[in-house]
Amino acid sequence: MSTENMSTKLDRRSSKHAKWNLWLNKFGVYFMVILFIAFGTLISDKFLTVSNFMNIIQAVAMLGIVAVGVSFITYSGHFADMSVPVIMAFSGIIAVGAVKYGIVISILLGIAAGLSIGLVNAFVIGKLRANPIIWTLAVAFVMNGFIRWAYSGNQIYPDVESKGNVAGQIFVNLSRMNVFGSLPLMVLVMFIVVIIGQILLTKTKFGLQLKLIGSNYEAAKMTGVNVSRTVGLAFILSSVTTSIGGIFLTSLAKVGAYYNGIGYDFNAVTAIVLGGMTLAGGRGNAIGVLGGVFTLGLLSNIMTLIGVDTFSQAIVKGIIFIIVVGINAKSLRKLGRDDA
Amino acid sequence: MLNIIRSKNISKWIDNNRIYLIFIVVFLLATAFAPNFFNLFNLTNILRGASLGMMVAIGFTIVMICGHMDLSVASTLNLGAILVIGMQPRFGWTVSLIAAVLAGGIVGIINGLLVAKAKIHSFIVTLGTMTIVQGIIYMYSHGSSINVTDFALADWIDKAVIPLLPPRVLITVIAVALFEVFLTRTPYGKGFYMVGGNKETAWLAGFNTDRYLINAFTISALMAALGGALFSISISSAVPNMGEKGVSPLMIVLAATIIGGTSMAGGKGSIVKSAVAVIALGTLFNGLNCFGTGYEVQIFASGLVLAIVVLYEAFALYKQDRLRGQRPELLKELEDGRFKKI
Repeated sequence: MSTENMSTKLDRRSSKHAKWNLWLNKFGVYFMVILFIAFGTLISDKFLTVSNFMNIIQAVAMLGIVAVGVSFITYSGHFADMSVPVIMAFSGIIAVGAVKYGIVISILLGIAAGLSIGLVNAFVIGKLRANPIIWTLAVAFVMNGFIRWAYSGNQIYPDVESKGNVAGQIFVNLSRMNVFGSLPLMVLVMFIVVIIGQILLTKTKFGLQLKLIGSNYEAAKMTGVNVSRTVGLAFILSSVTTSIGGIFLTSLAKVGAYYNGIGYDFNAVTAIVLGGMTLAGGRGNAIGVLGGVFTLGLLSNIMTLIGVDTFSQAIVKGIIFIIVVGINAKSLRKLGRDDA
Repeated sequence: MLNIIRSKNISKWIDNNRIYLIFIVVFLLATAFAPNFFNLFNLTNILRGASLGMMVAIGFTIVMICGHMDLSVASTLNLGAILVIGMQPRFGWTVSLIAAVLAGGIVGIINGLLVAKAKIHSFIVTLGTMTIVQGIIYMYSHGSSINVTDFALADWIDKAVIPLLPPRVLITVIAVALFEVFLTRTPYGKGFYMVGGNKETAWLAGFNTDRYLINAFTISALMAALGGALFSISISSAVPNMGEKGVSPLMIVLAATIIGGTSMAGGKGSIVKSAVAVIALGTLFNGLNCFGTGYEVQIFASGLVLAIVVLYEAFALYKQDRLRGQRPELLKELEDGRFKKI
């Protein structure tokens, strides 16, 4: 009798802990966001203003758009997409090249360019099961060389390419445009992408299948999930959002070049993992990823306000990244889910 | 039946030695078609260019054999490069070289401890240390390139004292040979393959798996720092952002390791093959350079080689996966008519 009592007590306690740990694992990143906001308010009175927050969100909007797309890949247990920088560069440079045919065609062609790389990735990784990191790395090499060769290493400018057309001006304004009064277009797109991503990941058949694949590929296959199609779709979605991010980046830089988007691959992974997704797959959600993106933005904003130089910022960011992910992995291990 | 066995053996042999075949093909093509390729000066140049990658590939391959990934090698080699140059005017070459390599070793120990003891995914740990070390490098160098005051060593280390083998290349080749022997001939070295193949089994068999992981990351960082230091000595200066806008050394080494046949899942791989792959990529770059093609074609070509190798591996696995649970040799006998269909 007493042992039974004991065990139920232990059960209850462990389940309480489990719930807490699970909650921490899912939305713990927002703790950090609140912590940073509180800290920022304490140290500077310039921090808690609308314009500063708009700055922060605008600075990370492109990373947010990209990271939500890449999170589909991480969610399915395929680590990350190393071809993110070249997809961004390629979609941007194609969009700039097509700007003379009008702004709509330019954007559509840009996204199509990124999508074409995504389709190749989807086929090779989804169907032929190549290692995602190495294959996307090879794609990055090939496309980097191709873009440099096709444009002879030059940059192209939207206002020159449009030949006096108004579309060039619109293209440059894309990243500076406000809708509904004072909401930047980039931020609106980021929130739309996050909401769509969250619904896709948690509410649809596709998301559930992706979770199953991320948790256990073989089991998913045996259950009858069309694994190659689902994994392929994740890569295609990632390439679409990445090319949207690439077009915004190109518009912001006012120049289409092969080096646009360098660093976005690892930054996206940082944001995704900070947001509670594990590289093992099948865990996390898009809102968490958004939290990870905000964390990065807040961190650099606060450090700039304090007056930390860029080089030390990298060090602090790296340390916080490792600590946060370590805590996350430990909380998962306490749950008995030793796969982080 | 005999035919099947023989063809299987041949394809297996090709699989095992594919990097040597790739190297020979690239080398022969370059010799035949590229102008000014086959002469002592140019061949020495290829080896000089490849020695940095070879040095980094040693440790990188060991980490990969353990089933992990070290993204921080590029930063660590940069750290070694910048420290040895920055400290030389005050302390002289010997002290600064030792200090630079040891600094790299500290990075490796931190990586290893975080991966083995804190049990964080190696991809994440090394991504973090990559950022941290890069920040330290920028802080140390204030973002500008550094030069030395003593150029004598730079002259000596890249001069072809022995034909084809300047001291820097010689050091690299010796290091590759030593680590290959260590990994394949000594009981301790063979343990790396055990740990990478199946960590649980290795642990049950009495291997100290944590110690192996820490050692692997430490070797990787030490060799990366040594390679970077030797490289920067040979050019007498160091920049904080080596290969940032082009293709980073990490990507070259990763590509070479994969082309050399090391598996990302762990438990399989060879240092010599990785080193030969680095030389093969260098030969490809150099051969294309002889035609006067630009850097972009070289990136494109190396990407293409990597893509073909990955595709080939993936396709082989795909075929194997489709045949899983079947007995092709029995089906073949059935087709041959040895057995009657019921």
